[in-house]
Amino acid sequence: MKLNFKTFALCLAAGALLAACSEPPEIAAKAAKRPDVAPYMGADNGFMTKGWTPGDLASWTEAINKRNQNQSEYSRVK
Amino acid sequence: MARMKFICDTERCIECNGCVTACKNENEVPWGITRRRVVTVNDGVIGQEKSVSVACMHCSDAPCMAVCPVDCFYRTDEGVVLHDKDICIGCGYCSFACPFGAPQFLSKGAFGSRSKMDKCTFCSGGPEANGSVAEFEKYGRNRLAEGKLPLCAEMCSTKALIGGDSEVISTIYAKRVSIREANGRYPSNDIFGWSTAYGPSGSPAPTPTPADKIPGAKS
Repeated sequence: MKLNFKTFALCLAAGALLAACSEPPEIAAKAAKRPDVAPYMGADNGFMTKGWTPGDLASWTEAINKRNQNQSEYSRVK
Repeated sequence: MARMKFICDTERCIECNGCVTACKNENEVPWGITRRRVVTVNDGVIGQEKSVSVACMHCSDAPCMAVCPVDCFYRTDEGVVLHDKDICIGCGYCSFACPFGAPQFLSKGAFGSRSKMDKCTFCSGGPEANGSVAEFEKYGRNRLAEGKLPLCAEMCSTKALIGGDSEVISTIYAKRVSIREANGRYPSNDIFGWSTAYGPSGSPAPTPTPADKIPGAKS
């Protein structure tokens, strides 16, 4: 019985000491990866290009691919 | 879904460093950090000097992601490799793992202390609200969300550097190569591939230019 009390006290002490090693939830939340917003959702500023609808993936892809062709002089110079 | 990539045409790059300047200005990159740089090989060797603009290649199997101890990297649906600066601890492992030297750190004083990692974001910001001030201050501009492409590629004067959906830019590049072949330059190369971009595998090693042909050089 005496040994059991000793073990219990030891466990309690170890638990109290190890509590210092834990990570508070607010710190753990900071270290978690945050989801990024997809570019086709658009940007909340005054630099948006025209010709596509924010939130519409198909129109964004089309606009980007069209803009991509500006890098080909064979498309730009007719 | 698009898979964003850069291609640099070494036949066109004139080492003007316009892409480097555009990147620094657009993203307000601090002194000491260069997200993009131009590397020249065979410098001064007549006819064999080639330049290539290098930044983060947004690898499909990125080694920086593999070695990061705090797992701050993520890949977007567009294939862009980004990282969260709020998680980064500035350990520098990614810098050792990257074969292109893309991850950069600011020296912040004595004893080699470093800042958090900074690298090319393909002008697509980071994990903050698109186009927000917080995103700009941490990661730079988010041009993709504005319907634009990275400025370094868009403003390249010779269109050596092209960036965008890999399918589209490889088609643009393949057309150039086929026209070069039709004009008698680099015949019998593959239509697209490593040998097209950087010369065939059997290319002879460059021979140094004789000193008497270099103005001001001593033999």
